[in-house]
Amino acid sequence: MAHKNRETETLSKAVARIQAGVLAITCGLICGLGLFAMTAWLLVKGGSQVGQHLQLLGNYFIGYSVSWLGSVVGLIYGSLFGGLIGWGIGRVYNWVVTLRQGPEA
Amino acid sequence: MSNVLIAGAGPAGLTAAYELSKLGLNPTVLEADDQVGGLSRTVNYRGYRFDIGGHRFFSKVPLINQLWEEMLREDFLVRPRLSRIYYRQKYFDYPLKAANALAGLGPIEAMLIGLSYTKARMFPQADETNFEQWVVNRFGERLYEIFFKTYTEKVWGIPCNEISADWAAQRIKNLSLREAIKNALFGSGRAADGQVITTLIDQFNYPRFGPGQMWERCKDLLASRGHETVQGVKVERLRHRHGKVECMYGTSSNGETVELGADHFISTMPLRELILALDPPPPEKVLQAANYLRYRDYLTVVLMVKREEIFPDNWIYIHAPEVKMGRIQNYKNWSPVMVPDSSRTSLGLEYFLWEKDEEWEWSQDRLIKLGIEECTRIGLIEPSEVEDGTVVRMKKAYPVYDQHYTESVDIIRNYLETFANLQTVGRNGLHRYNNQDHSMLTAVYAARNIVGEKNDVWSVNTEMEYHEEVRQSSTKGDRLTPQRVAPPETAEKVIEAAFAKLDPLAMGVALGVVASLVLFWATTVLLLKGGPVVGPTLGLLDNFFLGYSVTWSGAFWGLAQAAFGGFALGFLFAWLRNWSLTAYAFLVQRSAEAKERGDLLDKV
Ligand SMILES: Cc1cc2nc3c(=O)[nH]c(=O)nc-3n(C[C@H](O)[C@H](O)[C@H](O)COP(=O)(O)OP(=O)(O)OC[C@H]3O[C@@H](n4cnc5c(N)ncnc54)[C@H](O)[C@@H]3O)c2cc1C
Repeated sequence: MAHKNRETETLSKAVARIQAGVLAITCGLICGLGLFAMTAWLLVKGGSQVGQHLQLLGNYFIGYSVSWLGSVVGLIYGSLFGGLIGWGIGRVYNWVVTLRQGPEA
Repeated sequence: MSNVLIAGAGPAGLTAAYELSKLGLNPTVLEADDQVGGLSRTVNYRGYRFDIGGHRFFSKVPLINQLWEEMLREDFLVRPRLSRIYYRQKYFDYPLKAANALAGLGPIEAMLIGLSYTKARMFPQADETNFEQWVVNRFGERLYEIFFKTYTEKVWGIPCNEISADWAAQRIKNLSLREAIKNALFGSGRAADGQVITTLIDQFNYPRFGPGQMWERCKDLLASRGHETVQGVKVERLRHRHGKVECMYGTSSNGETVELGADHFISTMPLRELILALDPPPPEKVLQAANYLRYRDYLTVVLMVKREEIFPDNWIYIHAPEVKMGRIQNYKNWSPVMVPDSSRTSLGLEYFLWEKDEEWEWSQDRLIKLGIEECTRIGLIEPSEVEDGTVVRMKKAYPVYDQHYTESVDIIRNYLETFANLQTVGRNGLHRYNNQDHSMLTAVYAARNIVGEKNDVWSVNTEMEYHEEVRQSSTKGDRLTPQRVAPPETAEKVIEAAFAKLDPLAMGVALGVVASLVLFWATTVLLLKGGPVVGPTLGLLDNFFLGYSVTWSGAFWGLAQAAFGGFALGFLFAWLRNWSLTAYAFLVQRSAEAKERGDLLDKV
């Protein structure tokens, strides 16, 4: 087993860095499209009280509502918010890795 | 005076001469036999052609492929491969196929094989010094007993637990994790020159008239350039002085003594013979080491059978212990022109023996009778169908890898290195179980050493892959020289990046920080907005974060808990991702190794 571990070491000695920009775009797309899809889905399903819980996101995303216009607004907000989260995770991760390993070669 | 003398006109000797002639030197080859090609000759008996065994042409060394193509051109055929194992009156596809093996062995045996395989993989023997341990560790005891033990012992004449594990390790490439991944990502089927390597398992190259055609052609090419291959002269003595060989002495077939001097000498004689031929003799220790070296001898009984088709295979491995033969070749399936009449078939029954075995001394008639009996016993032919037969005996066909050979070879090697103008190459010349390609490569190296290169012929290993590129050297005209190339840098970079580990601690911190900030922000936004009931929905988070509420104190309490939860989640994610990547890499390695071992018998 010790031997196998050594082998994994030689497979790659590198510690991954995260491309914060790429993660931002990924998270942004997931959140934006996710919110758009959820809103649209509730609208298509219809009913007496459409999206009473999702509606609450309007507390944070001013102008957002469970409506067709709201789904487009949600797409924009979701993208921005998700992008920010992705970027934040990437930056903090890289910062801690740099603290522990030193700057990237 | 010829400036390079070569002992032996097998693949190594002739390749050395060919390379030397390209380099503008003047080689002369002395061959003991009346035919060239050595172990790779083709014998012609009444129009029936056959090899010593069956010689597949396959190499991962671009330089060697190029030499073969250059010599034979359109006569270098690509042939399909079909081979099976005969065992317990049944035929099994080889390389083994699960469904076919299962059908042949039955469900109970298959289950036992499965159990013994699992046991071997879970509890491998720690000591892996002999061949038996090596195979059992990889295939399990039962598969070893059924498919490897009898045949290997027939070939080598010694119990598998007395055969050095080196031998298997040298023949079967052990892939490192990194190599396996590289092969999986970029494909292993390419030689260093980018040519696609077709595996030896499905097809191989073969000269239209058998392997000997290659070496006859090589001899003719040498002759057309004015270089002689003297047949029927056995080199018996090499006189040397002050660390230099001065001349070779031999006896020709008509009993005349031949004495030839040269500036350089290349020997492809068996290592033991070379040492014993040195005059004055080497120190006692070296002589003793030479005498320790053992060789396995080999004979082929060829039967000419009055039948158009007997079986479709190129060859069949005979594992059945009730017969002595180890393998049967069907030469017309190698190339149709190996028989003079397509309504006839010639079968080559291969017997692996020691010279001291009584069968070795048997008359040709007795051996043919044995061959007919054995073929009849396994149901291949009727005795009345056999029209004719012949026997070819080949001494020293296999250098034996016993537990002591490495020590002996090292002693001899160190001694031979004291000579300034003598090199030993080839299969028996290095006491290496080399195929033609590696025997030839050592010869090319030796030839180039004469013009000043420093190649180590001993470094050529049977399963070693060569990262050699043949490049046109601008300074040396059209001389082609091998140069080592590093594995593609991009491949290394891709692997380094793809398998870089995520730092679990850093990922934990990142997720912790982001999660806590988001929750803090979400809580404070609602608090700032105010209202009769503040954040009843967000407050439900208290199901997960104990004590959390949408209040100012709750905001800080939530921040702390989200930081902790985020950290745990991030850490776990990174750790799992690293673990699954490693597990994937091991799986790739496992399957690549299994593929490598798929044709183990071919390498026995
Ligand atoms: C059964 C069998 C199957 C094989 N199958 C394959 C295969 O499928 N593919 C493959 O690539 N390789 C195969 N090989 C291996 C291949 O035959 C050898 O690698 C190759 O022939 C070695 O070339 P060589 O020149 O080093 O030695 P050899 O072929 O042994 O040639 C040495 C020559 O030197 C001569 N000689 C020896 N002593 C003296 C002396 N004192 N004076 C003058 N001449 C001397 C011999 O007569 C001989 O002609 C097989 C070998 C065997 C035995």
